[in-house]
Parts: sequence; structure tokens; C-alpha cells
Amino acid sequence: MPNVSTRRVVITGMGAISALGVGAEALWQGLREGRSGIGPLRHQDAARVRVKVAAQVPESFDPAAGIDERTLTQLDRTSEFALHAADEAIQQSGLDFSKEVGARTAVIVGTGVGGETTQDEQSRRLYAENATRVHPLSIVRVMTNASASQISIKYGLRGPTFAVASACASANHAIIQAAQMIRYGLADTAITGGTEACISYVVLRGWEAMRVLADDTCRPFSINRRGLVLGEGAGIFVLESLEHAQARGATILAELAGGGMTADATDIVMPSADGAASAMTQALDEAGLAPEDVDYINAHGTGTQANDATETKAIRLAFGAHADRLAVSSTKSMHGHALGASGALELVAVVNAMRYGIVPPTANLDQADPACDLDYVPNVARDMPVRAALSNSFAFGGLNAVLALKHAP
Amino acid sequence: MNESTQQQVFEIIAKQAKIDTATITPESTLKDLGIESLEAIELIFDIEEHFDITFPDQQGANFDKDTAQSLVDAVQTALDGKAAAGEGSQ
Repeated sequence: MPNVSTRRVVITGMGAISALGVGAEALWQGLREGRSGIGPLRHQDAARVRVKVAAQVPESFDPAAGIDERTLTQLDRTSEFALHAADEAIQQSGLDFSKEVGARTAVIVGTGVGGETTQDEQSRRLYAENATRVHPLSIVRVMTNASASQISIKYGLRGPTFAVASACASANHAIIQAAQMIRYGLADTAITGGTEACISYVVLRGWEAMRVLADDTCRPFSINRRGLVLGEGAGIFVLESLEHAQARGATILAELAGGGMTADATDIVMPSADGAASAMTQALDEAGLAPEDVDYINAHGTGTQANDATETKAIRLAFGAHADRLAVSSTKSMHGHALGASGALELVAVVNAMRYGIVPPTANLDQADPACDLDYVPNVARDMPVRAALSNSFAFGGLNAVLALKHAP
Repeated sequence: MNESTQQQVFEIIAKQAKIDTATITPESTLKDLGIESLEAIELIFDIEEHFDITFPDQQGANFDKDTAQSLVDAVQTALDGKAAAGEGSQ
């Protein structure tokens, strides 16, 4: 890496929409209580699919709240989630984007696929109902950059703005990209995170056919785990350079100290311990952390046979003897696997674990697996100081993105 | 049905693995036949389509150990279940 001066990056706002409710606080309360947002699948085609459970945003979520009618008609569910989460994060940060700040703010939002619900509905019109017309705003609803663009338009944010797609690692890749924008001076502030609204008939059928969905619930690291449970939602964060945040007297929630990004370059679906481990090591290196400095890892922990055993191996590879001293938990057991939004929902867990000294548990872990032999904080949250933490995301396609967080300076 | 269920399943496996049907024995595991995880999922899909059946979700959690015969048995179980349920199928 060329020797350039880099800036420190901090988080000053966060917002979330998830199966545990509207708001980052609702998500956090659910996680610290070990409460699962997984429930019976709600969908017009639920009776036709084998998928029985999902972690869906509750029906109490009102997409229209605080969004004008003209904008609302432009939005797929992915963008509704992202805009609401962005509103919350920006409000918490207290940032005023008028004048120069808007010009120096990047908006980088991850999503696995984008507007799948819209795509599915409009395809149904054409193929099943033999309609000849689709909704005129279908294209602007579906496009993967829709969420980033809508946030940019609403707040007048004129810096680098685009979507990042890397399946289940999309949010973490987006957050790392946004942090690098600030670190290397391309922006002073950034709105970033991930969003996904993937509970459509086609998508449910697709996951069903891959045979990786659990039919009961998500049981990460438990020997009786039966696969992942699809989730949905969004997590959005306000990032700033440390000096920008300090100059305006902002409350700093955590430091985003580093990121690691690698590709396995092996198989399109089977994970590799080496690729995941090298992403963790990279994140530690960029953050200037030794393995011994880390107290908590929010695992990718999907609840599939392959992920959980491989991730355990990867953590051992990256952390050596210190692996046995780490608290490792998978909050997907509670908010489900929200694919391109998952890393963002999990970052809410990590930031609050550090702020409050509480590590959220791995729910539904009732039978130890010899292939998963770390401390996964089973079922009950743990009071413990967290000095620094990692958040893992690994994607189909063999893509790994890991965040390294430190306590607010 | 003219061909036995076993014969039909072996032909689908042979097509997926790009091998001669004659090389498949009931004891061959999918791994022996060079069928890896993602191909095994495709194989299951092909078998389901061919017989118009649906395997239970957890079928296929152990492709490394599953034999060709276990697939034939699973097809037979699904076909029997379908016959018992009458003509109605999903």
C-alpha cells in the first residue's frame, strides 16, 4: 500500500429496520434479550411454498411515515427500509447537510439484488396475467442503486453515491468502501449500510431449491442446525472523519478502525476457512489491533452446516490461542439472514455491545457441535467490557468482508 | 412406466455426472461419481422434475455419504406417498 496519510473514521449515527422492529433501539433490545424475530412466513403464496419461517419486518412498519407521496410511489420495499433507517441514523448524528457538507458526503449502500419484490410483481403481471403494461416506475424501483439515490436526493448529498453488491457481504463491503472514501479524503462524511427485501415468491422458491433453509428456526453453531432463515430489513450508518465529528461536538458511537476484504477463489457456494481468516487478519491489521485486543466477534453464523464449522476454523486460524478467549455470537439467530443487509444489522449489535458492555447471545444454541468449539454466548446475553470487535460477513461467490471496530476515542 | 425407477434415476445421475450409466452401482456415493455439492442440488432438481415429486427439505444434507441406491429409495418413497395421496400433488 502506498504511504499516504489516512484519517480515522467514526460512527455518529445508526438506524435500522428489522424483524425485531422499527429502529436500531428495537433491534438492540431484542438482541440483548435473546428474543427471536423469526416467525411463521407471512406471504400471499405462503401456502404454496415449503418455506415455513422467516424473519420479516413486522406489519406495524409504516412505509409512508415521513415520506411524501410522490417519493413513495418510486420506492421498492428495499428503498423504503433504507430511507427509514437513513432518517433515523441522520437524525441521531445531528448532521446538517446544507452547504459544503452535502457536497462532501458519500452515499454507499449495499444490497444483494435490489428491488426483487417489484421485479416479481411486474413479472407476474406479464407472465401470469398476460398484461402488456408494467408500472412505469418499475425500472427506478428495481435498480440496485435506488436506495443510495433516494437517500442522496432526500438529503441533498452530492458526493460519490452508488450501490455495492456482493450477496450476503454487500453491507460490509459498502461500509468498508464508505470508510475508505473518508480515510483517503474523497469525502468527510458518508451514509452507508445495507438493505434487502427478499421475501418474494421467486426468491423463496430459489432458496428452497438450494436446500439451505431451515424448516424450524435458525440454530447457529448447534449440532441440530438445519440451515438459514431468510430475513429482511436495513441498517444505515453515518460515518465521519474523527476530526469532522470532533469539530462539531458530535457524540461518537464507535470507531470504524479497519476493514478486510478477500475472495476465496475456490467454489461458488462452499466457504473456505483460509479466505475468511485472511479477511479477519486484514481487518485487524488495518485497525492496528493484535488478536489479543479483541473481545467479541459477531459471526457470519448463518446456521448452515458448512458455514458454521468453516467459520469456526477460520476464527482459529486468524486468532490462534486467543480464539478460546473470544466471545463469538451469531445474531442471525434472532434477526434472520437479511442477505445484503445482514452486516449492517449486525453492526448495530457490535456498536452497542461496545457502548453498553453487553454481548448479545446466539439464540437457539441448545446442542454443542464438536466442529464448533468456541464460546458462542449461548442463549443469554453476557455483561462484559468489549474493547474491540470484529463483524464477519461471507457471501456466496466466495467473498469475505470483515469490519474491525474500536471503542469511541 | 417401462423402465425401473432405479434405471431412470441412474440415467439422470449419469447425465449430471457426464458418465456412462453402466459405471454406477447402487453403492456408489455421489462423491465417488464426482458430483459435488452444487451439482448434487441440480441433480435433486432434475430427479424431482422427472418424477414430479418433492423431496423433504433436509434430503440432501449428506451428499458425501448418500449412495445412488439411497436416492432411488427416496424417489420410491416419494412416489408411494404421491400414489397414497391420490392424484393431487403440489
